[in-house]
Amino acid sequence: MDSLEGPPSRVAGLSLPARIAVAVTLGAVAVAAAYHLAMVFLHVAPSNTLSKQHATAVNDYIYPEFEQNWKLFAPDPLQQNIHIQARTEVRKPGGGTETTGWVDLTGMDIAAMRHDPLPSHTQQNELRRAWSFYSDTHDTSEKATAGDRSDLSSTYLLRIIERRFGPTINGGQVVRIQARAATTPVPQPGAAAGSTSTQYRQLPWWAVDTASTGQEKSS
Amino acid sequence: MSTSGSPLVGGAHLPDADRTAPATAPPAAGGAGGGTGAESVPSPFASLGAGFDRALTRGLRRVTGSAVAPYQSAIVRIGFGLTWMLFLLREFPHRQELYGPNGPWGFDLAKRLLSSNHAFSVLMWSDSRGWFELVYAVAVVSSATLMLGYRTRTSSLLFMVGVLSLQNRSIFVGDGGDNVIHIMAIYLAFTRCGQVWSLDRRLAARRAARQHDTDAAADAGSDAGSDADSVAASESGTGPGSGVRSVRDGSGVDPVGIALWAVLGAALVAASAAGKLSTGWAVIFWLCWLGQALWWAVRRYAPGEPKTLMEVLGDIVHNGAMLVIVAEVCLIYSTAGWYKIQGSRWEDGTALYYPLHLDDFTPWPALSHALAGNDVMVMLITYGTVIVQVAFPFTLFNRRVKNVLLAGMMVEHASIAIVLGLPFFSLAMIAADAVFLPTGFLRWAGQEIGRAVRPRRTPAAAVIRPRTPDPAETLTPGQASGAAAEPAAGPTPPSTAVT
Repeated sequence: MDSLEGPPSRVAGLSLPARIAVAVTLGAVAVAAAYHLAMVFLHVAPSNTLSKQHATAVNDYIYPEFEQNWKLFAPDPLQQNIHIQARTEVRKPGGGTETTGWVDLTGMDIAAMRHDPLPSHTQQNELRRAWSFYSDTHDTSEKATAGDRSDLSSTYLLRIIERRFGPTINGGQVVRIQARAATTPVPQPGAAAGSTSTQYRQLPWWAVDTASTGQEKSS
Repeated sequence: MSTSGSPLVGGAHLPDADRTAPATAPPAAGGAGGGTGAESVPSPFASLGAGFDRALTRGLRRVTGSAVAPYQSAIVRIGFGLTWMLFLLREFPHRQELYGPNGPWGFDLAKRLLSSNHAFSVLMWSDSRGWFELVYAVAVVSSATLMLGYRTRTSSLLFMVGVLSLQNRSIFVGDGGDNVIHIMAIYLAFTRCGQVWSLDRRLAARRAARQHDTDAAADAGSDAGSDADSVAASESGTGPGSGVRSVRDGSGVDPVGIALWAVLGAALVAASAAGKLSTGWAVIFWLCWLGQALWWAVRRYAPGEPKTLMEVLGDIVHNGAMLVIVAEVCLIYSTAGWYKIQGSRWEDGTALYYPLHLDDFTPWPALSHALAGNDVMVMLITYGTVIVQVAFPFTLFNRRVKNVLLAGMMVEHASIAIVLGLPFFSLAMIAADAVFLPTGFLRWAGQEIGRAVRPRRTPAAAVIRPRTPDPAETLTPGQASGAAAEPAAGPTPPSTAVT
């Protein structure tokens, strides 16, 4: 190791108080690094004896800034395409209402991403993650399971859809919106492309706050 | 090879120490096998204590002696600065929708979420459009200055603030790439990542050269010795952290740095007065701010022991952060690999087929479907991915195998960038992988890139030279001389620029 042949250690030339400062810093950094890595390890490892015993300490340390998830396409990759689709109920100038057809919003994102070497997060992540946020915080009968987070997720999903439709469609004002998730399994390797059928999970109608500015919205 | 090799070289000392023990064992074992029984067999652990002591001493000297892995920390800095800057520029047209106060994840929703998880985001300080634009602009500029290594210490802090503020503001638009950037931005703030390949480095070299000229003119005798030493050190490429440091280096007043420090201080006062900072963050930012002032004062007024002490302390923190970065990358691959092992699709070798049929990750459907149609290729890549991810941390004990796997992972990430349409995720992962690149390769690559860029500059320099005899140009021939180009600046670790 050439480093041993270099100039003598800088620390050797320091006074005692300075060397104490070096030793204390070295100890503190070593402990901090070891503690940090232990916490990150317990956070990313599968739930185990230690991480269950120290769950509170681990979570207090990791959240919010060191949260991480490296289960990339694991344990199994997603094997289905989920498209978020939506339709609206519009109020016509004459006073009547009309229900528009289903629009495949995810499909529009996919079309926009096609042959784009730099897809935007607005196309690749926005709807996809908003839906997983929603489905993580609601059961299949659309009941909230996570308190305020459930409400945040449904408001977020509604706002994304609202923005994409705009205030008017077919000459009428949008008053209600309904979303559904269309899930199509990816056919097994070797199976024919059309061999899987699409399942729909339909969400309730949501009233649109016509005075909404994005700043103030009833929850 | 001490300065080459991965940052884990320090960790490799223990195996080294072990190796000395078995080496003495075979003859003794042979004697015992002969059945004479007269000679006692030396314990294979006999030299272990001494070996351990030696390794410990070497390790201590290393972590207190210099900021390790200057090239690796620089390439990680450049990689993440570049990735985040390109991402912000790409999303510039969509910035309002992703992070703005009136996007779908509105200010009100973010406020409700952040009040429960307490994530840090300066964007929550105000819902005004102007504030948002300012933060976005600072994020772009700080990622550029971090990449260039301009006032690296301050840039790395502002970079971290920008990354955390934007990502925490809208946590539901990110993906794995954002997650890597988020964590590395925090770690980078603790490193002295501007030692090489940075503007700080060049500016320090320029100052040193100017100083050298002034000294030579003013006093041909007294200082010549120390300056000659530093020039010798720089020419021999001893690089950053080498022992020779000019007493005068960087002792200029640095008005830009002082102005920047004052502006950031004012911002800090305002934020603290308005009660915007949590206690933890306030302590961190105030310590950094005071630390910069102390570092400036020490270099200017106490260039002896106080400066050396601060350098040693800074190096220790840097070395700890580099260890954490290296371990973090290992954890990323371990987690990714070990969870895959549990998946039936990864077991039967068809896992790759599925992402190639996910609409969100197939910007080039013809390419994806052609690849997915090749069953054998799908299986080989599926198995290869798991093998490489699980094996990678263990290969760190063998340079050659590590380098082969590293090249494989970088190629795979480059392919993911195109095939799965995840360019920023892939770039971030490649930047993280780069911490394991060997120093020899990095220096060679830096030199080749330098050469490739240089011919375009030469004519301009030739035109300028007759008009402005800038002292800095005396440096140019030295920098052109190849391998020693970057570390040629010798005397000053560039992260020392006062900001």
